[in-house]
Amino acid sequence: MRLWRVVVLINLALGLGFVLGYLAWGRETARLADELERARRQQAVAGVERTWQARGVVRAVLPELNVVVLTHEDLVGYMGSMTMGFRVHDPKLYEGLDIGDRVRFTLTGVAPNVEITALAKEAP
Amino acid sequence: MTTFGVAARWLHLAASLGLVGLVAASLLVGHRDRPTVLAWEARMLRWARTLAGLVLATGLATLAHQSAVVTGRAGAALEVGEWVRLLGHSQFGTVWLVRHGLLLLLAALLLLREREDSAADRLALRVEAGLLAGVGLAAAAWAGHAAAVEGVGLPAALLDALHLLAAGAWLGALPPLAALLRTSARAEGADARPFAVRAVRGFSRLALTVMVVLVATGLANTWFQVGSVPALVGTSYGWLLLAKVALLLPILLLAQHNRRRLLPRLGSDGDTVGRPAMARLGRFVIAEAGLGLLIVLLTTGLSLSPPAVHDPVWWPFSERYAWDVAAALPGGPTRVLIGAQLTFLGVLALIVGLLLRSWRVILVGAGSLAVIAGLWIALPPMTVDAYPTTFRRSSVPYHVVSVASGAALFRTHCATCHGAGGRGDGPGGAGLPRPPADLTAPHTAQHTAGDMFWWLTHGIPAGGMPPFGAVLAEEERWDLINFIRTLAAGDQARQMTALVPPGRPWLVAPDLSIVVGPAPPRSLKDLRDRWMVLLVVFTLPESRTRLRQLAEAYNTLQALGTEVVAVPQGDGSDIIRRLGARPPILYPVITDGAADIATTYALLGRGLGPASLSPRGAPPLHVEFLVDRQGYIRARWLPGSPGPGWDTSQTLVEQIQLIDKETPAGPAPDEHVH
Repeated sequence: MRLWRVVVLINLALGLGFVLGYLAWGRETARLADELERARRQQAVAGVERTWQARGVVRAVLPELNVVVLTHEDLVGYMGSMTMGFRVHDPKLYEGLDIGDRVRFTLTGVAPNVEITALAKEAP
Repeated sequence: MTTFGVAARWLHLAASLGLVGLVAASLLVGHRDRPTVLAWEARMLRWARTLAGLVLATGLATLAHQSAVVTGRAGAALEVGEWVRLLGHSQFGTVWLVRHGLLLLLAALLLLREREDSAADRLALRVEAGLLAGVGLAAAAWAGHAAAVEGVGLPAALLDALHLLAAGAWLGALPPLAALLRTSARAEGADARPFAVRAVRGFSRLALTVMVVLVATGLANTWFQVGSVPALVGTSYGWLLLAKVALLLPILLLAQHNRRRLLPRLGSDGDTVGRPAMARLGRFVIAEAGLGLLIVLLTTGLSLSPPAVHDPVWWPFSERYAWDVAAALPGGPTRVLIGAQLTFLGVLALIVGLLLRSWRVILVGAGSLAVIAGLWIALPPMTVDAYPTTFRRSSVPYHVVSVASGAALFRTHCATCHGAGGRGDGPGGAGLPRPPADLTAPHTAQHTAGDMFWWLTHGIPAGGMPPFGAVLAEEERWDLINFIRTLAAGDQARQMTALVPPGRPWLVAPDLSIVVGPAPPRSLKDLRDRWMVLLVVFTLPESRTRLRQLAEAYNTLQALGTEVVAVPQGDGSDIIRRLGARPPILYPVITDGAADIATTYALLGRGLGPASLSPRGAPPLHVEFLVDRQGYIRARWLPGSPGPGWDTSQTLVEQIQLIDKETPAGPAPDEHVH
């Protein structure tokens, strides 16, 4: 065999390796994109009723609006931790509730149309 | 294990460089139908095969060593499963696979015993081998420190790859050329002599270019990995690098001798001049290659050491030179500038003198004198005492938790002599050889945090300060330094008013955690770039009216990009209830860790009145700080102090808008050093 033919063969092997590497890289990228898409879909809450449970501290009770304002933990897939008012399903839930109380609450609904369906004081 | 790793990497790098150099040498000589040249070519092919085998074997050893390092178990070096994991899941692995794929192809190419029938065959072999060996070598840059440089990883890796290739073309080509020179120098090698001379001349020209590339890319690498003079002289990485440069000098001298003295003599045919010169040159080239091998060993050490920029500096000298020190002296800057100009002129004269022949003695003499005089004028005002830890950076962030813990340590260990307020007026200091330092004095550029760390650790024997290295843990010593920094800054901050002054921001806000009930904590730093912060340290019931006022203004302030953070003095666990329901207070109110924040910011909240002269005095009941988006405190309001106050909300809004309009300076430094 002539030497230059060997060189051509080696270059072919090199090209093959390059193509295989490129394909492997493409597959990895596709897998990551897939994972991201799935994670996004989990976050998207369109039209599906969900519940969130989190802890918070009562900042204000506004009976005239039927709203309790809470500084709350992250609501996974909905919003990060912040201070925000939530509508309460049943006014009985905030009876006896005081500013500064630490609570554990359940939020139910189709985001952003959610309300507090359960609320319990935590031991101080 | 480390010795094994270093040895494997050293041989691996040396063999990789050797392969590139073999191709370079072979191209320089070209194909000649002389028996001696043909014999040399056959020998070089055998060398290439050996080197290829060595590269692959040591590459495998490197992989084994890396497995052991990554897993932390020596046994993992021999577990194929660990190798596979390393190869599949790390940058090291990817680069290793690519490189060894190429080197395997190179080995296959070299092992095929095909005949070289034509010029095309020969060129194809060399170009292909050069490509495989070159890329196989250069790709190593992506598994080294260069690729990890933040932000500019790609340019840094490309420069490093160029450095490797240049080193290969130069160091790697030395042994083949030496072999050719030595064969040609023999009596029966006369047929190859003209070609050896041509090859060596070609190499000499090439080596000049290569050296420029090596120095330039080496300087760039140094900039990325070392970055400063203290890091160069005060870390193991820096020392290895200096040793590398020091080894380069004899090589350059040897090369200069070869070029000037031996190369011209090669041309003469006579057995009396040409042949001995050639044999001599061959020996010198081998010596050069031997020194090169040592350089490669040092490079291996560099690649296994943490880069100097990330390593704590151990300053080896008892002095340092700093412009800031001279700038603080009257007449200092002028002296330094004059001296620097003189030194510069002297260096210029030296360079010109070395290049010119006719004026050499005068120019070199005058230049040396000018350099010495220039340094003699410029250095003294810049000189300041230094200690091994002078350039050490705090290992504890500038955070209220650290400052508060430093404050407690200060009361226990330091207040006796330095005084409860840090003014150097404690009762224990009276009998000392030197009065204790006033720690609230504005610190000049003369003392770094590292200096203080040294004094705390080892004491100041002449002044009577005892060492605390055995009493306080390293973190505690940094806590104390953070506290002293706040104490001194607080003294300078006493004249701060509610109006944002023009000029550079200077007062760094100690970091703090904003914890409101069970919500996950955010730090002040998390808000950087996005929010200004109005930090309100308050006491109930005195602050109630102001807090209500802020509650009503909260929407406006948020719309202006300002977050309000309220910090109660004393216990905060019940504070939200105590603030009351009407009007609803919705800005963050710290419920945990408020005491540390209040302690720290009380140091920064002292006013100008005589009662607040000492940090011992009662902390202000209510004080507000306006922190800009870069983390600097820009203005401060103490209710009752003269001048406009923030209880007129127009004043506060104006300050916020003032900060909003300016072009921001850089972010507040984490390890600010006075």
